[in-house]
Amino acid sequence: MSPPYCVLGVVTMSTIKLSHVTLDFPVYGANTRSLKKSLVSLVTGGSIKQESNSVTFVRALENVCLELSSGDTLALIGHNGAGKSTLLRVLAKVYTPAIGRVKIKGRISSLLDLSLGIDAESTGYENIVLSGLLRGMSKKDIEANKKNIAEFSELGEYLAMPVRTYSSGMQLRLAFSIATSFSPEILLLDEVMGVGDSSFMEKSKQRMTQLVAESDIVVFSSHSNDLVRKFCKKALWLDKGHVKAFGLVDDVLKAYDAANPTAA
Amino acid sequence: MNTNIATAPLPRTFHLRPAITDLRQGLAAWRIWWSLGWQDIRLRYRRSQLGPFWITLSTAIMIYSMGFLYAKLFKIDLSTYYPYLATGLITWTFISTIILEANEAFVENTGFIRQTCLPFSIYILRLLTRNFIVLVHNILPVLPILIYYKIAPTSAGVFYLLFGLILFLSIGYSFGLLLAMLGSRFRDMKPIVASLVQVCFLLTPILWQHSMLSPKLQALMNFNPFYQLIQLLRAPMLGQIPSANTLTYCIILAIVGLVLMVIVLARCRHRIAFWV
Repeated sequence: MSPPYCVLGVVTMSTIKLSHVTLDFPVYGANTRSLKKSLVSLVTGGSIKQESNSVTFVRALENVCLELSSGDTLALIGHNGAGKSTLLRVLAKVYTPAIGRVKIKGRISSLLDLSLGIDAESTGYENIVLSGLLRGMSKKDIEANKKNIAEFSELGEYLAMPVRTYSSGMQLRLAFSIATSFSPEILLLDEVMGVGDSSFMEKSKQRMTQLVAESDIVVFSSHSNDLVRKFCKKALWLDKGHVKAFGLVDDVLKAYDAANPTAA
Repeated sequence: MNTNIATAPLPRTFHLRPAITDLRQGLAAWRIWWSLGWQDIRLRYRRSQLGPFWITLSTAIMIYSMGFLYAKLFKIDLSTYYPYLATGLITWTFISTIILEANEAFVENTGFIRQTCLPFSIYILRLLTRNFIVLVHNILPVLPILIYYKIAPTSAGVFYLLFGLILFLSIGYSFGLLLAMLGSRFRDMKPIVASLVQVCFLLTPILWQHSMLSPKLQALMNFNPFYQLIQLLRAPMLGQIPSANTLTYCIILAIVGLVLMVIVLARCRHRIAFWV
């Protein structure tokens, strides 16, 4: 939401700096997340308090250090549950880690969930306006974007209809067109590259390539080695929340494939 | 994978700056919460012929029928009872809906909270916007009553109404945020609050009048926050000036709320994303 930093006509660089980030997920079960327990502990005082003040955690990230600056394209690789999506959400400032420091400079756009903010009862145009507002755009920019989005999504007159009347493919087109119509400084991607039928797939892949090229920093989580090689120069291999390897994409992928022969 | 699971006491944290930033950015992003609040109203009444005027109509039916019956039951003159009940009921609707919806304010925005770093206060401001729009629709059926019984607003009354609204909204803002945090952390809050609100409706002079109580109970009633909040808005609508007692009570409530909100937000803001 902050404006681009401009000093003497030179746009200063976006940076990401994570130092020793450890993120614990508190798990509130059906039993633990109740007021009764907290009240009981209040009433009974010391004896139960010790226990109920403790919370069960899942350690999603441990001691992650990472430094990126303009021009970096980073791939996050690792098994399911390795912490890739969590790391993306830390970068999107959704999760604040209890331990470690997060310093991010630059306007962030996260394409973690394409359909965020898409409201089924509103028309396509209303959705475009609202999404623009949510991304911190001015009314003027949104107006300018409207035409662009309408053209790209090829939805035509459907944009004046409520989104619930769209087919699921059309909804994806709209969501994709909106989400990718803003040029961010820091782009966070979670496995999205192309959507829709074959012709739109090709188009959306092109759009994505263009968006990646325009962004200062790209962080991309993926299971596809081909896409990772195509888009990223660097890679970070996460395993159970730990950084297993960080470096040039070919080196990290080689190590990863060697450790997981079946995944290759 | 089980190696990642552990039990530990929660670390006590206090981050004042992010909390203040959240509140500041939330207010600054007025376009977002204003649009979202309006969207909520539009969506609720989409495809209905009357649209949001259903709010007006259903309130009108309730006020006019209940007013007639209860005026007879309490043997109060209609000219006194109708304006009293009408203004009290719409104020109560405003208060109670904010309280009930505040519990869910974060939970129903889980999608936003897990994907973006929008300030949390936006969701409360969205809720206040939505309920303010409902209030405006609710005032419409009250107007004929006020006009018919010639209850003209004085300039002092208008001043106190505006002042009261601002005070009321700031109280709703702070306590709404507190309730939203409580409601997302403790899922029992919703049914608890729902039943409490119902009881409070009967314990607060809305259907019946404050003057019907014995002097002792009248003094006790001064401690009922709902009574004071209702008086804050009802009195100026009836062309009266809220008592010094009411004004003091509400100003203190507002200050206490704001301080509590900042403290709790500083302690818990970073945890909300895990709660929803």
